[in-house]
Amino acid sequence: MTTSQHPELDLTVSRIIKAPRSAVWRAWADPESFEQWWVPAPEICRVREMDLRPGGSFRTEISDDGAEFGQHLSACFLAVDELERIVFTDALVAGYRPAEGSFMTAVITMKDHPDGTEYTATAMHRNGADRDKHEQLGFHEGWGTVTRQLAELVEKPA
Amino acid sequence: MAQCSPPLDDVFQALAHPTRRAVLSRLGTGPASVGELATPFEMALPSFMKHIHLLEDTGLIRTRKSGRVRTCTLEKGSFDLIETWLDQQRSIWEGRTDRLEHFVTTTHEKEGSE
Repeated sequence: MTTSQHPELDLTVSRIIKAPRSAVWRAWADPESFEQWWVPAPEICRVREMDLRPGGSFRTEISDDGAEFGQHLSACFLAVDELERIVFTDALVAGYRPAEGSFMTAVITMKDHPDGTEYTATAMHRNGADRDKHEQLGFHEGWGTVTRQLAELVEKPA
Repeated sequence: MAQCSPPLDDVFQALAHPTRRAVLSRLGTGPASVGELATPFEMALPSFMKHIHLLEDTGLIRTRKSGRVRTCTLEKGSFDLIETWLDQQRSIWEGRTDRLEHFVTTTHEKEGSE
């Protein structure tokens, strides 16, 4: 799929999600749904722009209290194949315009699977030099540990 | 950990060159002399030594001179730095995927039962 010059800087997360591809796609492509799972609770995500087409803008914001939001992701979609694939990078902004800093390119794929959908997210990182930036972006150590917490929140019917 | 860790940028800088990655990869199988390490590369020894020095300065390898032979050894601990950083990235994406999974499966079930 992709040739990597820095395999040590790449990571892939795969999961079989027990739902049809259309449902997984909707959770990604519908900003209101996307906001509900992209960041770990209690942080709140707000989608500013999600122009799902190559060259389209992808911007999100994050907040700890729902009052003050700060920039989270500022990216550009590179490839959008409905129900199949989403590729975006923060090396570019809307219209393929070069961005200030570059941190990573992400490739999301969805494939049919007997149990539902095979979902794969691959993140390719430029290098570790942007670690400070990634901390500014609101990433914190131990995010993974709060995921179950949010999962429970999301599970509760509204 | 961000403030007190050794310079991660230097580690990535060191890894950013194919010759240095090849050296590290070779040292992964055990210590080797500079002469042995230089053999596969069409490179003057002083140039090759620059790569060795950079790797040593970054702390990715150790070298020890015995007589006329300088032996290089991989310093495994320094790779933990990268792993920690990448582990953080991984946990972010795993968290997202967990939440996506829960969101999709619960939403889908709800829709199905309506």
